Amino acid sequence: MTLTRRTILGATLALPAIRTARAAPEVLRMGIGTSLAKLDPLLTTIGDEYIYDNLVFNGLTRMAADLSTQPDLAESWTYSDDLKHWTFKLRHGVKFHDGQEMISADVVALFKRLLDPATAAPSRSNYDMISGVTAPDPYTVAFDLGSPYGGLADILSDRQVKIVPRNAVAQLATRPIGTGPFKFVSYTPGDRLILTRNADYFEPGMPKLQGVELRIIPEMSVKIAALEAGDLDVVWDLPLEQVKQLNAQANLRVDSVATASWDAAIMNNLIPPFNDPKVRLAFQMAVSKADVVELTLFGQGAPTISPIPPTHPFYAGQLVIPPADPAAARKLLAQAGHPNGITIPIIVPVGRPVRERLGVTLQQLAKPGGFDLQVQRVPFSSFDAEVSGKAPLYIDGYFARPTIDTSTYPFLHSGGSWNEKLWHYNDPKVDKALEAARLSGDVAVQKTQYIAMQTALNANPAGFFAYVVNFACAYRKSVGGITTHPMRWFDLRTATVT
Amino acid sequence: MSTYVARRLLGVVLVVLATSVLIFAIVHILPGNVAYAILGEYATPAAVATLQQRLGLNDPLWLQYWRWLAGFLHGQMGQSLVMDRPAGPLILDALGRSAILAGSAFVIVASGGIALGVHAATHQGHVSDRVMTLAQFVFIAVPDFFWAILAVVVFASWLHWLPATGYAPPADGLLAWVSHLVLPVIVLSIGLLAHVSRLTRAAMLEVLRSRYVLMARAKGMSERRVLWRHAAPNAMLPTITILAIDFGLLIGGVVVVETVFAYPGLGRLLVFAIEHRDLPLLQAGMLVLTTIYALANLAADLGYAALNPRIRYRAAA
Repeated sequence: MTLTRRTILGATLALPAIRTARAAPEVLRMGIGTSLAKLDPLLTTIGDEYIYDNLVFNGLTRMAADLSTQPDLAESWTYSDDLKHWTFKLRHGVKFHDGQEMISADVVALFKRLLDPATAAPSRSNYDMISGVTAPDPYTVAFDLGSPYGGLADILSDRQVKIVPRNAVAQLATRPIGTGPFKFVSYTPGDRLILTRNADYFEPGMPKLQGVELRIIPEMSVKIAALEAGDLDVVWDLPLEQVKQLNAQANLRVDSVATASWDAAIMNNLIPPFNDPKVRLAFQMAVSKADVVELTLFGQGAPTISPIPPTHPFYAGQLVIPPADPAAARKLLAQAGHPNGITIPIIVPVGRPVRERLGVTLQQLAKPGGFDLQVQRVPFSSFDAEVSGKAPLYIDGYFARPTIDTSTYPFLHSGGSWNEKLWHYNDPKVDKALEAARLSGDVAVQKTQYIAMQTALNANPAGFFAYVVNFACAYRKSVGGITTHPMRWFDLRTATVT
Repeated sequence: MSTYVARRLLGVVLVVLATSVLIFAIVHILPGNVAYAILGEYATPAAVATLQQRLGLNDPLWLQYWRWLAGFLHGQMGQSLVMDRPAGPLILDALGRSAILAGSAFVIVASGGIALGVHAATHQGHVSDRVMTLAQFVFIAVPDFFWAILAVVVFASWLHWLPATGYAPPADGLLAWVSHLVLPVIVLSIGLLAHVSRLTRAAMLEVLRSRYVLMARAKGMSERRVLWRHAAPNAMLPTITILAIDFGLLIGGVVVVETVFAYPGLGRLLVFAIEHRDLPLLQAGMLVLTTIYALANLAADLGYAALNPRIRYRAAA
């Protein structure tokens, strides 16, 4: 008998100090949650993939952490007075990772591929105002739009529209090539994506790191243990309940930043009871959004009226979000023909813990106002097919979009592409304000219109916009030069790790 | 014996085929499909329709199944719809890593379980037997994922002895490779080890009370010889059956352990395929697993026959 409990225990105890040294100094190891499905940036749809998009590739423009639009592969751009013709001047001498020079033909090829329905590019509908893309010379790209659009330069900073070599599209799924600060080395689904420094990157002196590893670790407690043990340098997308606790640790730093990602109770405006605007308004009166933020987000977020976050200059700050008034809510419900209140199921997505918590929070908070909600749990993977746009009441949410127009118009305009998947909302005042805002390049006009939109929405709610949620990441203190980006991706050009 | 093996092999093929039909049907009953999974939060009705068309999801189910089966019979594992790359290399890669995990665990479970079980049976009522019994109940009753998280918290986060997660390729050095395997293998083995040793103890106790053991002792045979020549082979029969069944549990445990420890094996790949409704990837992966499980059962039956002549002769007759 060679193997006894004692020998097993002994062997275990003899293991101390078998710890792997870090793969290499100056390689940043980041914990993410999900395997990347797509390596072609045009086809990416999840936050884990967007991190990679922004490390390996560049767009024509770039969105900085303060949400301003900056030049990237385009040095400068101009637009016609009617906002229908845009011209972008490209940087000279930018090289793809395989050594070819990036020129306007690559940009044109990308947008042709995006707009071709056969590509089935997820974000195609964001760009359907583009009617033509041409390359007058190797360093100039001209866009013709079917309708005036003031935010073109802004949405060209988005996650999917990254420039790739026109003759290397076939290999993007397995051996992607970009112009970005880091080059693709290898990808093992379920394990890690390895990137190395692009020594020929077009901005001199960048990046500082020798490489980046995205480690795919689904279990959050394990990710945090790995961070504490020094096996990871960064944990992406920290659960909000961990923010205070981890920030208290000596060798860690937690950043929690405001974003424009929102969650809401989606109400179907076509079927009873929420086809009656009074009922929707009564729900808004019944629940205090400030309490929702405390209970659902542990304070890591802010109440909002629409997808425009309170941190944005276009937010309607003069509209005060009132505390709950259950008596007034019940009175309004009675006027709408529901003297005994309303009993209705609320569907929450299993696998999205924050949104599940929001459902339970609303169930508790809406009760005194006459809403008896019964929480039903449906797997998130079934949501699109079963729940979206169909159920009378459910919890859903959307990540921040690159511009205020793309964050609001598709969701709240009566003809918006997302409106039909959510509430089927129709308010002429909201429609008018959204249309006017997109037709103007003038920031002051846009601001006036978006405030008018929020005012109309507040008086006739589409559903219950609960909050905009913070985005938090945890870093070891050995990591420097990173600003946590509200769009949930990373700009690691200046990052360092010691 | 050879007709017995041939008949059982045919059975394996039928089981695998039936499983493939079953998986195909189950994935189609689930709400949503791969088009929704690929488009994610961009799944507008128009985009879903275009993608379904392109992926051939509008064809009749039997045609989709036949297309997959025909490809498979031509030696193609199919193409992962979500990752746009051949499923074969993805699966083989992951299978290799899972095999290291499951193989190490199985060796520990089989050898350790039998050794501990025999020890407990021959030391019935001693302190070591009682402590072991208590430990066995705890390890059987508490599920894998609890031990997994506990192991990470204690050995990685607190004691800093072992890496919390992942996998190091052998190229990183033998030490790194082994150190990443220690926690997953222990967690994977511990419940089954308790199970197998518990069962071996019971079987062994029964055999030790039998008349032929009394007879062997009576004719003055050494206790060691009685134990290993006469008692153990008979006590092994139920253990082998249990090991074959536990092999299935082991495969299930691999999925849990790989997820918690972020170990890039076949279990994780299958979870990914299910979440994304990536049917070709799921089919190919399940086919590999079903085949392995069916072959493990076959091996157990053959082992049984080798240890027990009665089965051998009945099958040959």
